[in-house]
Parts: sequence; C-alpha cells; structure tokens
Amino acid sequence: MKDRLDFYNSYKEEHRIFNNRVQRFWAVFGVLISIYTLIILDDVWLFLLTLAMMTTIGAWGLNIVSGFAGQISLAHGAFIGIGTYTAFVLGGNIGSSVLSYGLDMAIWLPLSGIVPMLFGILISPVTSKLKGLNLGLFSIGIVYFVLHIFQNFRTVTGGSGLGRKSPDFVFLGFNFENGITIGNLVLNENNLIALFSLVILILSGFGVKNIARTKTGRAFFSIRDRDIAAEAIGVDLLRYKGIAYAISSFYAGICGALLFTFTGGVEPNQFNFVYSVTFIAIVIIGGAGTVLGPLFGSFFFILMPSVIQEIIHFFGLFEQSSLLNLAQIERLVFGIFIIVFLIFEPRGLWGIWFRLRNYFKAWPFSY
Amino acid sequence: MTFFIQVFIEGIALGAVYSLVALGFVIIFKATDVLSFAQPALAALGAGFICYFATEAGINFWLSLLIGIFLTGAVGLLIERTVLRQMVGEPVFSVAVITIGVDILIRTFLDDWIGDEPRFLGDSFTSYGNFGSFSIGEFNFKYLEMAGLFVAFIVILLLNLFFKKSRYGLAMLATSFDQETALAQGINVGRVFGLAWFIGGLLAAIAGFVFTGGFNTLTQLSFVLALRALPAVVIGGLDSIPGAIIGSLIIGVTQSLAGYYQYSIEEYFDINLGLGFSTVAPYIIMFFILLVKPEGLFGTKEVERV
Repeated sequence: MKDRLDFYNSYKEEHRIFNNRVQRFWAVFGVLISIYTLIILDDVWLFLLTLAMMTTIGAWGLNIVSGFAGQISLAHGAFIGIGTYTAFVLGGNIGSSVLSYGLDMAIWLPLSGIVPMLFGILISPVTSKLKGLNLGLFSIGIVYFVLHIFQNFRTVTGGSGLGRKSPDFVFLGFNFENGITIGNLVLNENNLIALFSLVILILSGFGVKNIARTKTGRAFFSIRDRDIAAEAIGVDLLRYKGIAYAISSFYAGICGALLFTFTGGVEPNQFNFVYSVTFIAIVIIGGAGTVLGPLFGSFFFILMPSVIQEIIHFFGLFEQSSLLNLAQIERLVFGIFIIVFLIFEPRGLWGIWFRLRNYFKAWPFSY
Repeated sequence: MTFFIQVFIEGIALGAVYSLVALGFVIIFKATDVLSFAQPALAALGAGFICYFATEAGINFWLSLLIGIFLTGAVGLLIERTVLRQMVGEPVFSVAVITIGVDILIRTFLDDWIGDEPRFLGDSFTSYGNFGSFSIGEFNFKYLEMAGLFVAFIVILLLNLFFKKSRYGLAMLATSFDQETALAQGINVGRVFGLAWFIGGLLAAIAGFVFTGGFNTLTQLSFVLALRALPAVVIGGLDSIPGAIIGSLIIGVTQSLAGYYQYSIEEYFDINLGLGFSTVAPYIIMFFILLVKPEGLFGTKEVERV
C-alpha cells in the first residue's frame, strides 16, 4: 500500500508541502538543476532567468489576492512601485540628488515588503466593501492616483522622464559586485544575484504553498467561491480580505525591490496601467488560483519574446521586413496569448501541465 | 466670473465628447454584461481610419469620416463575433481582461501605422484648429469643441429615439433586463450583442475624431484621452445611459476646472498638486462616489440572492 502515490492515512499527510516521493524527488532535482544552471550561465539567458524568478514573486502576490481570494486587483503595479521606491530610498547611494539613506539590503529588502503591506492594509477597509467590477475599477483609480504621485514626488522618484538609479546589492556588508571564488569556480555579480533570487523565490514559494494549505488559504478560497456563503460559515470577510491584500502587497513590494534593483533604475511611468495588466496576464496565462501557475506564467512571459527572437533569427524571417519590429511582435503575441488562453485554456499553462502529468501518472492506462 | 463660466463651458464641451465614449461603455455593458476595455483602442482606430482615407487614400474628408466611423463599428461587430461570443457566461472579469487583450492587439497594429510623427486627420478644422474660435459677448467658443458638443447632443438624441422607438432598441433594453427571458420572447440575443458592439464602435469612432481632429492630431497616445471616460462611467453607474452622460459632464467640468484653478488652489493652500493633476481629479471623485454609492449615481443596485 505504501507504494501507492495517492494513498494517505491522514489529512496531515495529504496536506504536506510535497505529499509524495515523486514530488519530493522532483523538487530537490529541480532546485539542484536550477543552481547548476544559474552557476554555469553568464549571458542574456541568465539575465532573463533572474528577471523571471523576480517576476514570479510579484505574480504570486497577485495570485494570492486575485486567484486565491478572488478579489480583482488591477493595482498590483502600484504596490510594486511603492515597494520599489521604499527600497530605492532606503538603499540608494548617499550623495545623489534624490532622497537616499544607503542602508544594507538586509534592512531594505524586508522593509520594501512591509511598507506596501501597510498600504494594502490601509486601503483594505475600502476595498473589502466593493466587489466584482467595481473593485476592478476602483483599483484602476488607485493605479492612476499612485502614478500621479510617483510622477510628481521628485525628491523620492526623480520625477517623470528622469527616474532614479537603483541601490547596490550589498547584503550584510558583502557587495555582490566583488563576486566569489570557490576553488576553480568563479561566481560573478550576475550569478550571485541569480542565486540570491532563487533563494528568495523558494522561500516565497513555500510561503504561497503554506497559505494555500492552511486555514487562511481555505478562508480565501471560500471567499472566492461565494463571499456570502463564506460569511455564513463564519469567515470574517473584512479580516481575511485585509490579510489577502496585505500578503499580496508584501510579495509585490519584494518583487519590485529586487526587480528594479537588478535592472539598475526606474522611471515613474514604468508603473502605469499596462504594467498592472501585465501581471494579470501572467497570472491568467500561468493559471490563476494555483501555486505553480504564476511560476509557469512568469517564465513563459519573460522568456517567450527572446525565444521568438531566436526562432526568427534562426529562420531568418523578418530580417529586412519593416512590417512589424520585434517589440511589436512581442506585444502582439502578448495580446494573442491573453485571448487564446482565456478562451481555450482558462486554467492556463498549469492546466496543460496538470493534464500532461495525469496522463503520465496513469500511463500506460491513461485514456 | 466670466472666466469661471468660460471654463465651465469648456468643461461641458469636453464632457460631451467623453459621454460618447462613456455611452459606448454603457451600451455594451448593458446589453452584453461586458466591460469593454477595448473602447479606447476603438476610438483611436476610428481616428486612424478617418486619417487614412482622408490623407493617404485621398477621399473627400466628410466621406472618409463616414467610412471611418462605419468601419470602426464593423470592427466592433467583428470583435464581438470572433472573441466575445466564445466567452458568453464566463466570469465578468475574465471577459474584461480579454477585451484588454483585444485592445493591445488593435493598438499594436495602429501604433505601427501611426508611427512616431503626429498625424493630422485632414479635416477642415485644421486651418483654424484649436486656435480657431468665435466669440459671443465675452465668451470664446472653439469650433472643434462646439462641434463635439453639437455632435454629442445629436447622437444622444438619436440613441434616445433608437431605444424608445425602434424594434432593436427595445430588444436591446429587454436583453439588458434579462438575457434568458429576452431569448424566450423570441429576441435574437446574439444579434443584439453584435448590434451593441457595432454602436459602441460607432460612438468610439466619433469621439476619436473629436479628440484627434484639428491641431489635436493623432498620436500613439491618443487612446489615453478615451480611457479618461472610464471614471465617468463609474460615477454615473455602469448600466445607466443618463448616468453615463451626467457622469461625463461631471468629469469634463472637473477636469477643466481643476486644470484652470490648480495654480490658485496650490497658492491658497500652499500645497503642490503636481503636473497633470486635472487628469487625476476625476479619479478622486470616482473614489468618493464608489465609497458612498458603489453602484454609481444612477446605476441599479445589485440584488444578490443567496
């Protein structure tokens, strides 16, 4: 009996993070492969993988509030912006024209999550009263309002069109720029940042999984499925919607802080409406309401344009063509994927993966 | 006082143009339960069609205006048939996101065609454009704004007639009331959906022309102007036609008052509201309305059965 993968003796066993051998094996294997990849790579693909890992954290944040708790949020970009500027103010190099304190990453990284979290808690009494489309429209208002503040608060953001430079990756006094040499292995700044974001990614992944499998997560799911019924069985709507916004904003802040510190700087108009929509697209393409979905979505979304670029270069298409340039093809594919996934695969990439997995699980008796 | 009235009139004219876009939002939402984020892109697309026929194809401007408006309506119909028909009965938010996808698609092709240079629409307003104005007494009226106000007035009148007198107008009202019951009464709901998108497209194109006509020009950012009608819809109520008009007027007046009086307010209270505050001011009003009346000023209150 013990060899059966789906056989559990208790709920506790079933609710474990990795509830069978196969999952445990693939988790360890996946982490090892990732570490190996991030060490040997040192080119544009390393850059993209790091971006994708950082984006995943933000996508998980949106997934908690929209996918788990069912609260539509088009203002995720605004929370990411707040986190980014918290990090930039606290960590920015002293001596620049904008407000900066030059603190260590060990201080600014947690705080860049906590400040948006407080903001999320602050607006949650209002957002919990609204539902459906009204909530979505309200959050669009937040996007434009926060964007306006970003554009004009020059001492912090550097102002519209100018922006400001990012802080350095200095963790507990160790500057990532110096790199590490272990024996023959030379790890430069990019490898270190990639490994660091892998650590953060795994930590936040466990966080999301833990929310999904505990009381809080079950409360979120019940609110998503039917808020009135949830209230009837004793879920405190105000409280749990507030918690959902708080956790979501925390993830958003961490994502923004890492992402824009990595890319080197940020301009206020980055955090426009389209940026928030990008995250919604990532969650939808990946699969809303699942733990792995946003991970798939982020990697797909970040890596896809470059893959398309490689394909185009490989076949020599569009080289001289002035029909559409690469950025436009990227946007086109972005738009098409939103439509195609919503119509044909509402569960997203996760749904495809789920079916594939189940096919091989029962192989050769799958039908 | 003269200055105030002048600014107020400009606000009304601006609001009238917003009301065209807002009506598109509302008609589509009422008939099909879809919040169309593709409306701004349709407005820009309409301006693009007009611009293409009037300047590049060399057709008479007024004729190309008609062709452009009609074609945009057809595009609206096409969107409904190809994309949104698949999504009937899906969650409201998924459908709203799919229209964002449509919006991105349309604007990608449109931006490619527009290019980096602003484009004139080839209309006769260009010669006097935004500077062209006439005076009655102490007040100045700009031709384009007045044309917008006039067109909006006519269109609203026509829509009113359409809903009151025509078979399809009545069918649309019935559909918006209850889709299944309407279907049971023999109304072709699918056709009503298409018609709603067609009208939405027409209205967007007319608004698109007024936004980009004259010296305003068509650029890659023109769609933003139409997006500003969104708070108007929320203020008036997503499913109310008079609400859309009144909401738009509120937004228009707010925007122009905030624009002209920002400096005085800043000086009086010694605060800095920042550049472009007038475009954010409507959203602040929207926040307050949503807090007090989540369904909007004229919207029907949602009754939930448990």
